[in-house]
Amino acid sequence: MSQVLARLDGIVRRFGRVTALDGADLEVRAGEVHAVLGENGAGKSTLLSILGGLQAADSGTLSLRGASVTLRSPRNAWAHGIGLVHQHFMLVPRLSVLENLALGGQAPSRGWRLPLREIADRATDLMARIGLSVALDAVIEDLSVGDRQRVEILKALLREPSILILDEPTAVLSPPEVEGLSALLRGLARDGRAVILVSHKLDEVLAVSDHVTVLREGRTVLSAPRSEVDATSLTRAMVGVALSAGTRPGGRPASDGEIVASFRAVHAAGPSGHTALAGVSLDLRRGEIVGVAGVEGNGQRELALILAGRAEPSSGDVDLPHGTGFIPQDRTSEGLALDFDLSENVALAAHRDAEFRSSGLLKWDEIRARAEHLRTEFAVRATDTSVHARTLSGGNQQRLVIGRELPVAKDLLVAHNPTRGLDVAATDFVHGRILGTVGAGPEGPAVVLISTDLDEVLALSDRLFVIVRGRLSEVPLGQRTREGVGALMLGSVP
Amino acid sequence: MTHLGPIRAAALALGLTLAVAAGFLWLGGFDPIAAGAAMMRGAFGSSNAILSITMVRSVPLILTGLAVALAFRAGIWNIGAEGQLYAGAVASVWVGLVCDALPWFLLLPLVLGSAALAGALWSAIPALMRVRLGIGEVITTILMNFVGIYLAAFMVVGPLQEARGVFNQTDQIAEAARLPLLMPGTRLHVGFLLALMLGAAMWAMFRWTHIGFEIRAVGVAPNAARIAGMIKGNRVVVITFLASGAIAGLAGGVEVAGVTFALYEGLSPGWGYTAIAVALLGGLHPIAVLGTGLLFGAIEAGAAEMQRTAGIPASWVTAVEALVILSVLVVDQLRRRSHA
Amino acid sequence: MPEAVALVAFLEASVRLGVPLALAAMGEAVTERSGVINIGLEGSVIAGALGGAMGAMALGGAWGGILVGGTAGAFVALVFAAFAIGLGTDQIITGTAITLAGLGFTGAIYQVRFGTTGAVLSVPTLAPAEIPLLSEVPVVGSALFAQAPTAYLAYVFAPALWYFLYRTQWGLELRAVGEAPDAAAAAGGRVRWTRFWATIFGGAMAGIAGAHLVVAHAGTFTENMSAGRGFIAIAVVVLGRWNPVLVLFAALFFGAANALQFQGQALGLDAPYQLFLALPYLLTLAALAGWVGRSRAPAALATAWPKRAGG
Repeated sequence: MSQVLARLDGIVRRFGRVTALDGADLEVRAGEVHAVLGENGAGKSTLLSILGGLQAADSGTLSLRGASVTLRSPRNAWAHGIGLVHQHFMLVPRLSVLENLALGGQAPSRGWRLPLREIADRATDLMARIGLSVALDAVIEDLSVGDRQRVEILKALLREPSILILDEPTAVLSPPEVEGLSALLRGLARDGRAVILVSHKLDEVLAVSDHVTVLREGRTVLSAPRSEVDATSLTRAMVGVALSAGTRPGGRPASDGEIVASFRAVHAAGPSGHTALAGVSLDLRRGEIVGVAGVEGNGQRELALILAGRAEPSSGDVDLPHGTGFIPQDRTSEGLALDFDLSENVALAAHRDAEFRSSGLLKWDEIRARAEHLRTEFAVRATDTSVHARTLSGGNQQRLVIGRELPVAKDLLVAHNPTRGLDVAATDFVHGRILGTVGAGPEGPAVVLISTDLDEVLALSDRLFVIVRGRLSEVPLGQRTREGVGALMLGSVP
Repeated sequence: MTHLGPIRAAALALGLTLAVAAGFLWLGGFDPIAAGAAMMRGAFGSSNAILSITMVRSVPLILTGLAVALAFRAGIWNIGAEGQLYAGAVASVWVGLVCDALPWFLLLPLVLGSAALAGALWSAIPALMRVRLGIGEVITTILMNFVGIYLAAFMVVGPLQEARGVFNQTDQIAEAARLPLLMPGTRLHVGFLLALMLGAAMWAMFRWTHIGFEIRAVGVAPNAARIAGMIKGNRVVVITFLASGAIAGLAGGVEVAGVTFALYEGLSPGWGYTAIAVALLGGLHPIAVLGTGLLFGAIEAGAAEMQRTAGIPASWVTAVEALVILSVLVVDQLRRRSHA
Repeated sequence: MPEAVALVAFLEASVRLGVPLALAAMGEAVTERSGVINIGLEGSVIAGALGGAMGAMALGGAWGGILVGGTAGAFVALVFAAFAIGLGTDQIITGTAITLAGLGFTGAIYQVRFGTTGAVLSVPTLAPAEIPLLSEVPVVGSALFAQAPTAYLAYVFAPALWYFLYRTQWGLELRAVGEAPDAAAAAGGRVRWTRFWATIFGGAMAGIAGAHLVVAHAGTFTENMSAGRGFIAIAVVVLGRWNPVLVLFAALFFGAANALQFQGQALGLDAPYQLFLALPYLLTLAALAGWVGRSRAPAALATAWPKRAGG
């Protein structure tokens, strides 16, 4: 067998009262693509950021090529030949690709000299060797997400790592881009490197890896060569017990509910002035869930904001109902005021609710009563309503947002990536609540579910659209598979 | 760690300030205890000291402190209370001189109203530059301070100079434009009551009204407030910015109508900057600002006595104000860490 | 040719008044590029002025004043950095306090050291130094090249700092720290270390500017003699779009606006002196509104790092 490059034994890592890792092990060999698999919150990212020198373990040992080491910083980790490509890109948006490659990358020549030309030459060579291409003089903020990821990988590879870690690299890519990445990773492994791929997507892992390690609740529960595992055994290892997904009872007839909202040829500009929506037309009927799939950054944010009445289109007609609930993408900065307590967070939506206001005054008694109702009804784990939102877990924060928005959503509910970062139980809860709102049929609201999680929209939607470069196209019933939607997400005609 | 409430935090910050200030005095070759005694005498040594000096001096500090607290609560860095105060003082003197034929019940509201309006206008420029052009208000409010100070300096040698044209100040405003005394025989004027009422009103606004809640939400979580659909455009920012300017302008008007009755160069010894210390030490809480404003009134009242009897330079007070702000910041960090 | 003489005098005054702003603003530009806005710059300027006066007298030479002034300015910035970068306190509030501290302590030290009567100090001054050939160029020559030697410091610093920011590894890391500190840290950059030294550098430059006011202009120290130059320097940084070379020109523009007050009478303009004093501030506001528009500050400007834990 080939050489063991890295070995982590019995790693424990706690964040306050939360134990992220509880004795996790990992052994990585040269020349393999090693998948680390697990549900959200299983500890994958924490384990790999310990190997990447970003965090320290509370206990446990790390050895590289058989020698025990302690990694104090990312710089320290590179010196040992470990390169980490983050899930959230660590690029400086307003610098060029070349400047980003130069940043901190050239440990020996720190100081005055900025060897841009040498770095450009090396990057060009490397790109030719591994079959990857990005314009070096482009500014990062003008690049697509896929290109940014290529820059990240290039940046890591320029340091000639023997171990390359990629944290959820496919989360932001369209299916064909994923295939390109897989080929790249295989090539890197053939070169004698170890490639560690962190993922929670089974099929990707099965397609590309040589060895699979599964984490569950902070522990390593399975480690085996690819040839010895299959989808069933991996699922069992990941989840513990088989779960039934909270899917939509299929075969529902198209909703004939009243049209509550409509878009006609809506155009909108994004934050940097580029076209975000390019002629969107859409009718939304009571009692239906309309899914919008797509790779991040194709106009979803603008679509959500305009649907929710929080932004104006630059042209086109919108007809929106009054009773709209909005579950924004980022609950910590957009959904909640973290330094407000539960009641105050409920009051954030009170301007839309006449029953909470009378002639410029807020009816705090009623608001507190609503908050208390939410706390019990939506099982927000907090001792009382004067608890600050900052102290709640992610799942409980999302319950609070949903609990606040659902009563307002009498005509329309707009949910943007509502389960991002949530664990299985919280995801089930959110899905259940979204399905519940349309249970009322023609009396219920219309629901728009905008999500980059393909499985989520496939499972929940009555009608499904794909958004590409600001345009919506409906997915025909016969094409509602991962492959079919994937093709549309790239803008190709089926 | 023990929980540090706002009152204990303020007390701790004050203690820290006193300790550091005493240390510096000692280093400078002064007797900190004698200095403290002189300061207490100047501020609280007699009923005259309390009523006519400390309380009178606290009025502009409370008002500008409230102005700063209001702005900071909404996440607006209004460092421009000084310029807004001068704008208010200029406007009130002008109205007080020109409309001297009006009866007091018309003239006095007009004087104070024009001061507030001028302060609001003075803050409107940075407010519009922020919401329309995206230019941060820190720099623009500071620049407007200089313009306000020079505007007043120009007025007292130019259009509003006193009739004989000798001194760099204006004539005194009409009797009917002056604030009545709160207690006969002292210099304590109705402006003090006005400041207390304004503080109470601001407290009630934050606590019960919708606009008060919006201001707090915009300050605490601007994104969430926008996404929750609370604010159409920058309405709350503009309203709060103008209101903050109006209160600072009112401070200038009250000082003119209650104390000086005229405008001259250097009317304010930097109240607009001291206001930041007043507001922060009060935790941006309107009621607490009433207390910290009084405290700073006492410090300024005591400083004169300190200089006279202990020979401690008057600039020392400015340094002490800085120490207060820094102490509040340190204590605030301690609180954050104890909560984490 | 009285017009030509007036023009030469005007240009000369513009440069003379612009130089201290240029020095302070170029330092602040570097500080802000690292993501720190130091509103306490005024404190560094006034400390530099007092340090300049005391240093020049104690060391018996104007350059001693520049040295001590720069050190004093750096020390004030060190206090700011200890709070804003070390403890992570709010940069704007801390800066305001540091300005008050600078004005208060220099006033107090001056009065303790030299008495409360405001004695006029006699400080060794820097004589203008003419650069051969260049100073003989008509009109602009004597305006630009017959200045106090500190002016030449500003001319040299502008391209040197530009080179530092855009052509060196340290400069690249400094800009990255100011744009995206998390990314810079992930790339191995030392965020707080970089910000700390960028702030100290800005303070030292502001201190030199303050010392320049004493040894090249006034020949004495007076309380509050910085007269808001630290604040104006911060506006000049915005006008110069955080680019040291443009900052130099922005400072000279401001110097020209300031020089108008002296030229007003010469040109026969009959407006009061105080209006001319307000003019530079109004022009700066207008320039900010009209020219800068939504020009982009470093993305992480005025934010603490690491971020306050939450969520």
